[in-house]
Order: sequence, then C-alpha cells, then structure tokens
Amino acid sequence: MTETASARPKKGMKRRTFLVTGALSAAALSVMKVPRLHAFKKVDSQRLAGYVQGAWVPTTCQGCTTWCAVEVFVQDGRASHVRGNQHSQANYGHVCPKGHLLIQQLYDPDRVKVPMKRTNTRKGKGVDPQFVPITWDEATDTIATKLMELRAADETHKFLFLRGRYSNGLNSVIYDSFPKLFGSPNNVSHSAVCAEAEKFGPYYTEGQWSYRQYDLTATECLVLWGTDPLSANRHVPFAIKAIPELLERGGKMITIDPRLSSTALKSHRWAPVTPGQDGALASAIAHVILTEGRWSKQFVGDFNDGVNRFVTDQLVSEDTFTENHSSGLVKWWNIELKDKTPAWASVLTGLTAAEIISIARMMADAAPRTCIWLGPGACMSPRGSYTSMAIHALNGLLGSADSEGGIFYKPKVSKGSLPSISAYQDETATTGLKQKKIDQRGTLLFPALKEGKSGGGVVSNRTAQAILDEDPYDIKVIIANWVNYNYSGYQTELWDRAMEKVPFLVHITTNASEMSQFADIVLPAAHHATERYSGSDNAGNRISFVSIQQPVVEPLWDVRSCEGEVPWLIAEKLRDKGFSNIYDYFSSEIKDPDTGATPTNSAEFALYTAKIFLQDAYTRAGGWDTFKQVGMTSYGPAEFGKTWSNLKTATGKFEFYSETLKAALQSHADKHATTINDVLSQCSLLAMDDMAFVPHYEPPLRIGSKAGFPMDFVDYKSRLNREGRAGNCSWYYEFKKVDPGDVRWDDVIKINPQDAASLNLNNGDVVTVNSPTGSVKATIRIWPGIAPGVATKSFGQGHWAVGKIATIDYHGAKARGANNNDLMPAEYDRLSGSSARNGGFFGVRIDPVTSVAAAPKAADFDLLPVYPNPTAMPRASVTVYLSKPAPVRLELFNNLGAKVREVVDTQLNNGTHTIPLDLSQLPAGLYLLRMRSGEFVKSQKLIIQR
Amino acid sequence: MAQLAMVIDLRKCAGCGACGIACKMENNTPDRRGGQTFNWADFFVETGGSFPNVEFTFFPVLCNHCSDAPCVTMCPVNPKALSKTPEGITIKDDSRCIGCRICQSACPYSARDVDTDEVQYSVISYNEASAPTHPFWEDTSVLISGCTSSGKDVSTKAGVTPPNMNAYEGTPYDTVRRPNVVEKCILCHHRIKEGDRPWCVQSCPSGARVVGDLDDPSSEVSRLLSQHQAKRLKNNHGELLAPGDPGVRPNVYYINEFMTTK
Repeated sequence: MTETASARPKKGMKRRTFLVTGALSAAALSVMKVPRLHAFKKVDSQRLAGYVQGAWVPTTCQGCTTWCAVEVFVQDGRASHVRGNQHSQANYGHVCPKGHLLIQQLYDPDRVKVPMKRTNTRKGKGVDPQFVPITWDEATDTIATKLMELRAADETHKFLFLRGRYSNGLNSVIYDSFPKLFGSPNNVSHSAVCAEAEKFGPYYTEGQWSYRQYDLTATECLVLWGTDPLSANRHVPFAIKAIPELLERGGKMITIDPRLSSTALKSHRWAPVTPGQDGALASAIAHVILTEGRWSKQFVGDFNDGVNRFVTDQLVSEDTFTENHSSGLVKWWNIELKDKTPAWASVLTGLTAAEIISIARMMADAAPRTCIWLGPGACMSPRGSYTSMAIHALNGLLGSADSEGGIFYKPKVSKGSLPSISAYQDETATTGLKQKKIDQRGTLLFPALKEGKSGGGVVSNRTAQAILDEDPYDIKVIIANWVNYNYSGYQTELWDRAMEKVPFLVHITTNASEMSQFADIVLPAAHHATERYSGSDNAGNRISFVSIQQPVVEPLWDVRSCEGEVPWLIAEKLRDKGFSNIYDYFSSEIKDPDTGATPTNSAEFALYTAKIFLQDAYTRAGGWDTFKQVGMTSYGPAEFGKTWSNLKTATGKFEFYSETLKAALQSHADKHATTINDVLSQCSLLAMDDMAFVPHYEPPLRIGSKAGFPMDFVDYKSRLNREGRAGNCSWYYEFKKVDPGDVRWDDVIKINPQDAASLNLNNGDVVTVNSPTGSVKATIRIWPGIAPGVATKSFGQGHWAVGKIATIDYHGAKARGANNNDLMPAEYDRLSGSSARNGGFFGVRIDPVTSVAAAPKAADFDLLPVYPNPTAMPRASVTVYLSKPAPVRLELFNNLGAKVREVVDTQLNNGTHTIPLDLSQLPAGLYLLRMRSGEFVKSQKLIIQR
Repeated sequence: MAQLAMVIDLRKCAGCGACGIACKMENNTPDRRGGQTFNWADFFVETGGSFPNVEFTFFPVLCNHCSDAPCVTMCPVNPKALSKTPEGITIKDDSRCIGCRICQSACPYSARDVDTDEVQYSVISYNEASAPTHPFWEDTSVLISGCTSSGKDVSTKAGVTPPNMNAYEGTPYDTVRRPNVVEKCILCHHRIKEGDRPWCVQSCPSGARVVGDLDDPSSEVSRLLSQHQAKRLKNNHGELLAPGDPGVRPNVYYINEFMTTK
C-alpha cells in the first residue's frame, strides 16, 4: 500500500483517529482462556478467525450521497457483513445502519432477474403490465429500433435519459456520451429533487456551488440547521463518531428544526422553528451579531474608528466601514438587517426573543470555530434560495467560512475523464443537441441559476409537467436508470400521467418499482455496490477520497452494469441497424489505461471505463490489483483560509451584497427581455430592487389555505432509507423505531397531543392525510416532539410496487405505509431549480378514516380561499375539493360583475385539485371567483393589488 | 473466574440502530413472527414530557449475561442447555435445548410473546416446532412469473439459508437454529474466543459499546464503571434497578445520558 492510499496521520491534524489494519494474532487465545480487553484486536484481521473462508472486499456504498468507502465480507462467494473501509478517515472504518442494509438489497428475491417486456398495451397506476421475460438480445434490439425511428425522423431530441443514483466511474458513458452522440440534449438528473437550494446560498455568497465540508473535529459550536446528519445525508458515520467527541470536549450543539430530530436529542439547544420561518431566524441572528459587535473583525473587517454603528433601525454610512475578506456588509445591514430584531423574528419563528439572542451569542462565543451546517430542511422551499443565502451568510459573518472548526470545501482529487466525443458526433446529433432541454430550465419561470447561469441547473421534477404539456415538445423514448420518479418525484400523480403518456419507456432497475409499472422494457441492473465495477469520489473529515466499486460477489441473476454495459449493448444494436457512431466511439476511444487494449465486449468496456476514472487513485495505491484490495485513495487534507479574498464571486470576496447574483439575475432578465423585478415577481418572490441581492427573509409560500389544510407538514428522511430503496428490506421495518417518534412495521404521522385532543384522535387511529394535491392513509402517533399545528412523517414507505415486503399487495398496487411525495405539490424554489419539499410549503388536513365515509353531503364539494390573497403577483392558486368525479366550472368576475377569466370548465376527478389562476394584466381591485358543479355554487373573494 | 460485561455509553450512542441490524447479519436471525422478535440486539425507546421539553429515553438492549441468570437456573434439562462460560457469557448448547421456553418465562428481560405482553423487546426468542427457522428463504412465491425469483430460489442459488449466512465453526450453538429451540445473544462467543469483539461492538459507529472483564480492574469496562454512575435495566419495560438492588446481577451497564440536555 502506498502512502497516499493509507490513512496516515498528517502534520497539523489534531484530534483525529487513525485506523490501522489490525495484524494481531488471534492464535494465542483459546476457547477457555479468558480474554482481557487489551487482548481484543483493534480491528479485525483481513481473514476473521473462526469464520469460514472469508475475506473483506472493498467497494462503495451508495445508500446516500456520503458514498462511503466500505468493505463487504465474503464467505464462500456470498456477502455476509458490511463495514467501513478500514483506511477511511471519512467514516473511521464504520458504516451507518444504511450500509448494513445493502445486503438485503443484494439478496432481495423480488429483484428482476432477466430483462422483461410488457404485454399489456394499456398503462396506468394499478394496471398490470403483464411482464414476460425476454433475452438481453431482444430487449436491446427493441430499444435500438425505437431509437432508430427517432433518428430517421430527425427527432433525436425526443429521447430523454433520466438519471437517478449514479457513480462517477461510469456516469459519463450513459449520462454524457450516449445522449450527446445520439443527438439529445435531454440528460436530466434527479439532483434538484434532493438538493440544489442548499448550494445556492454558498454559491451566491462564497462562489461554491457544492456541498460543504464540516470540520467537526475542531468545531466548538455546531449548528445543525434543517439537517440531521446523525440519521441522514450527509457524512453520517463521521457525524456519529465526531458529535459525541465534540460534546465530550465541551463543544456546544444547536439544532434548528421543527421536529425533534436525532441531532436535536443530542443538542444543548433545540430550536423548533415554525416551518418555513428559518430566514427570519437567520436575519435576526445576524442582527444580534452585528448590534452586539460580535462579527469576525479578522474576516469581515471593522468600522474605521472601531465604534459600532450597527444600532437597530439606524442606517449606516458605507464609508465608515472597511471590509477585509467580505463585501457589502453595510448594504446588507441597511437593506435587510437593521430592523430584523429578535422581537420581530419571535413572532414569526415561534421562538422567544431571549432564545434567539442566546443562540446568536452561543454562535458568536465559539466563532470562528462555529460550524453552521445548512441542510435541505431550511431551504428546499418555494423561496428557499434566499433562506439558503441568509443562513450561509452567518458563516461569513462569524469568520467560519473556509476556517478551522468551520465550513470548507472538499480537497481536489484527480479523476480521469473520457476522450472527446466530437469526432463521432454527426449532423443529426449536433442539430438535436441544439434543442431546448425538456425540464424548462432557464425559462422565465425557472431561472435555475446554477453557477451564475440562467438554466445552468436542472429542474428535475418539472420534467413530468413538461412531458404532459409537450412544452417545449413531446418526448417519445425514455431510458430511466436507477431512478423511480413515480415514487421519488413530487406530486407523484403527475409522474403517473406523464409516464402513461410517453410511448416507449425503458427502466433499468433492480426491482419492478413504481416507474417500472409504466415501462415497456425493464432491464435488470447489477447492484451498484456488489455486482459491478465502477468508482466514485467524495469527501469527509477534511479529506477527499476516490473509492472503487467492484463485483464482490458473482451475481445470482442475468443482470448487467446499468451505466456501463447497457449503453454498450444498445450501441451494438444501433450499429447493426446502421448507426455505428456510439459503438465506434466506445470501441475505439475507450482503452484500458494499463494495456491500451480496446474493449471487445460490454464487460471489458465497463471495466476500462471505470479504470479510466480511477487511474490516478489506483496508480497512487500501487496499481489496479492492489487498489482492488485497498479500495480507496485519500487526497488532502484541506487547508484553511487559502480562498479568502480569492473566491469565485464577482468581487472575489464573501458577498453579503451579491454582485454575483445581480449579474445572474440580470442575464436571466435580459434573456427574457424583461427586468429583474419582473423575474422576481414571476417567480413568486417578494423581494424587489436591491433586496434581491442580499441574503434576506422571504415569508414562506404556503399551498393550501389554513382553513382547508390547517396543519403544516414536515417531511424527513428515515435513517434507514437507502435513498428510496430500502422499502423491500425487512430490517428497515423491524428497526424503524430508531427514527425518533416512529414505530416498527408501521408508518406513523406524528402530531402534538394538543392537536390529537382537538381532533379527537388516539394512537393507532388510521387517518386520511389530505393535501391540496393528494391524499394518503397513515397511522396516528401522538408525540410531543412536534409543535401544535404541525404534522410530521418520514419518507421511505408507501411503495405500491417494488416487492412483496414493500407492498401489502403488489398486484393490487396496495402500498405498505404512505408516500409523502403523493401529498407534496409540485412546487419549486425557482431560482435554484430545486423542488420544494420542506418549510411547511403546503398544508394538510387529517381526517379520521371513518368520518370521511360518513361525511355529510354538504362537504361533497368545496372551494377554498384563493392564495395568496390579497396579491400583487401575476399568479395565484385556488384549491377545489370534490368527493366524487364531477364537472367543475370556475370563473373569475370583477366587481362590476363582468367575467374576466374562464379558469376551468372541465370534468375533474375526485380529490383536491390546486388550480392556477392567471392574474396577469388584471387591474387592481376586488374580484369574485365562482365555482359551479351541478347544484353546488360557492364563491371566494380575491383582492388584486398593483 | 472472570465476568465479561458490556458498558454502553448513551452519550456516544446516536440511536442509529446499526448494532441491531449488524447482529442480525452476524447471528443469522430471522424476521419476527408469532410474537418472537429474533432480535438478539434491540432497543427500548420512549418519548415523554411535553413540547418543547421532551424527555427521550433510548436503551440499546441485549442479553444481560446475568451473574444470577434465571434462564440458567430454571433450565430443566441435565446437563443444562443454558450455562455460564468461564468468561461469564450465558451460552447455549443447541443440542440440549428441548424448546420448553421456561427460560423465556424466567428471564425478566424476555416475554413468551412480545405482542400479547405488549413489551418492546424480548432477549430470548423461540423457534416454533413445526416451521422452518427462516420461512422467508423457504417461501416459493414469485412476484412476476419468470422474471423475479422467490426466497427459496435465492437461498438455493446461494447454497445456504439465509443466503447471507455467516458461517462459523467449532461452537456448541448452531449458526442457524433448528426448529423448537430458543435463541438469544451469546455475546458473539465465537468471536470473543478468537480475540475479536462482538460484532455489535465492532459495528457501532460511535464506539458506544465496550466489552471487557469486570474482574480485571485495568479493563476499560472497569475503568468506565469506576468513573461513572452506571445504570442497569431491571426488566424489559424500561425500568432501572434501584441503587443497591442487584436484581439478577445483569452485566450490561449504561453510562451518561442519551439526551444532552438531561
């Protein structure tokens, strides 16, 4: 093993545990001899004594985006145990509970074992596809035929590749080269379903569109804001080890989360902020830090005369302050912070002013060793981009950005990339690539300003609506890999309708999941961690690492590497049908880095591609064969403070007034020949003018009125979720109680005892949870870990396909538990492109199951109040409720009684429907929205302000 | 003599569940059925108090390897199926067990049926006489004919039941139990005798579980117990032994508090 491959202590690194491969002999100990503690080995030796013919084989777990380097114990060719890679500084040689579950994924009897095709031409949720087994040859031939039809019609852009879980080692084949050589701009990732909003704040203050790293081993005050790393994404094993050590050395912990999370249980302070009001808290904390003179003088700078002029409600002259590594502090104060007092925030957040001041002081006391860990919970909401900025800006204010004990970014790793494809792209391909992307990124309503570029980011979940609306065009062929939007997408019914509409869907998957039910061809994927070659890179605990994925066991079934072998097999068939460019590129440009050999079959192709990516890592480890034994190479450690005043922002500084965002918004406005203020307004943001360029509070946008949907809904991820893929693992349900408040073998919605009393509900009652866009059944759990008025439920159950454990009845499409995503309206944080999933952005109503059946006739229909109201926005929405399918007519009248809009005149299904209202061009005034359905008539007032 | 004991540091414990899942892999235990959990490592969890001042109790639980083990005392066969090893482990000889379940009744941490007794866990579980130990892997039903497999297909192809079976040798207890015997944690005796820690201890990502000899004053467990006011469970209802009450002299100790604010 080389120096770089091993976990060696590095100069200047303190308080870090280093693992050594245990080589102590066990032979000295016999059955009868009493072992003493010091006789225990530090770690197991490579071949565990007492076990039958076993060895630890390294690979990479992708149960969340931590992508831990792990090892699987293999006995007689079978996988039996999982642990962290013993060389990993990022997980200290341990996995979290998710890691162990991969064994149940691997041996899941419900895995698809051969390619299959649907024989039922009808598609829909609950419609049996009547799958029959086919050969790989037939499957890939059929796929190639469909793709050739697109090429013949010059419609290559109507091919869409949907990416889910991917690995860096092979991603560029299926996500990049394949669609680009074929001629489609549509390689759509799943990223904005899970993240992106949390990268917006760091980018538009600090110039980094990336997950942050957290120096937990040196932090003195850890602030976990809308994140729960003891349970879920990211750095879980590192957090589990480092957080108790932080507590042990007297460090402080604060968790800001509406729900009593795993980290809240370990925190000195749990601040159960009202959902969606995180931005108010952030602004108030900044206000306290500034008025009390507690900002980092080293990082931010100071008043020229040292006299603090940050006094509540007082404007400050910019020329009195000289900044060091930041830019725009005084502007931020004058535009946003001067009146954002703790008393102001108290009303919004549900926290007392004293609590807010106390939290701000705890953060300031430890600064710059204060680490503010911004998570998705705080900003994956309709106006969350600015919350993301407001929270991340505190890291700048306290001097914790790129600082020991604070936050920083992952050290660079050396990764190989594939050769250029340009020589293999024909005219059809280059023409197709010029088409707009299907997910509507970069359109007026979806700026998706990744890295400063209009449409630079993905709007993953919007793809469903775009397909339904054929806007910008229709999609004819989809290949979806390790993704299951009909479960993981928001407002899943949109995905059900979209996938029903698409003429030809190929699903590469381990299990016949929800999305598979709409597929024409299902291809069985090799399990990512145990059955194929690839690799990935990630970071944690100050180092970056590149780790291998390899077939630790022989697959039991006829599965293939999804990202490597499948594109090769399709490329072969395309070649046979007259389009050989993809095959030619694959077979002549991809070479084994060691021998220069070109691939002759799919397995060699996948292996060589993985090796290209891993080349630097395995070279440093001492060669490919050694790397297969060692499994990972570390890079780093990160050094602190090197980026100060040299950031990738417009000013090079940490921007409290974001010139970077101003330029991005301006370019988006210019592209659509409009103003920044119009962009903001169209995107449902309340900020205008300079406010748009500073971190600031935006009131939460809530879908569903308080009257119709009184409770805020808080979603969280189970610590046993392998993303959405642990649903067919029995151990998931058996140990579900390790999520605070949850129970075994059930899916509970947790409400405060006060709400239970007023709703007359008891533990174990089955209820219907209704949102403006969906309805699910769940079990009530009365729990004091959530505020009155808030309901919370874990994501991870509610599969109506996938397998025998995941469902109550697979063939009846009857789910075990409930999928939160069925409830979530498809709404967005438009500036980042993220889907909304947090911040109480929609309400729910909880009805006892029995009372729904006995509901009086008067409740058969309802028209809820318009939201927002009054409004100055060009768009609003209204929710209608129908207990049975019925014709519905919605009309909008002005105060003279003249009809100004025919909103809807159509047949609607039963359930709740949120209907958008186009209010553009309407003058200010009082309006009346009328709903008619048979005998039912109801109106709601709407005030438009201009 | 010696007495192995486990000290669980609740401050370090994240409540993640890794120990419980790891144990199922190490010891080839099946899924719960018929009021039997088959969880040799499990959890007692309780939430009390009122918002926002919540009282949260979390105990990772396992066989206490009691010094006055009622399961051993009450085991009616001769020689006994349950006995104490020289290290103080309460161990099982599966060839001796007659499945009478007296040990389940005698153990204060066990229940003959966790559902009817409404308890969160049972240290001892029972494999019924007339059913396979791993019915999941004997099941022949198939989700999609010709396209997916059955539990039986997988275990047949893997060559063993369960397919992820951890095979080890040279022990009086079976790696996979036969019908009509009880089963429980043996403190990974098969690992301890080789100088390895129990798999739950080794798998704990925070290092919250420590195993060692109480009779050795230099052991880490002895050191921890001399530094902390330790707690022990009285039963499987989450009650603690009062100070001075030896109970059945359980050897699993809890130090520190799970919640930081407590």
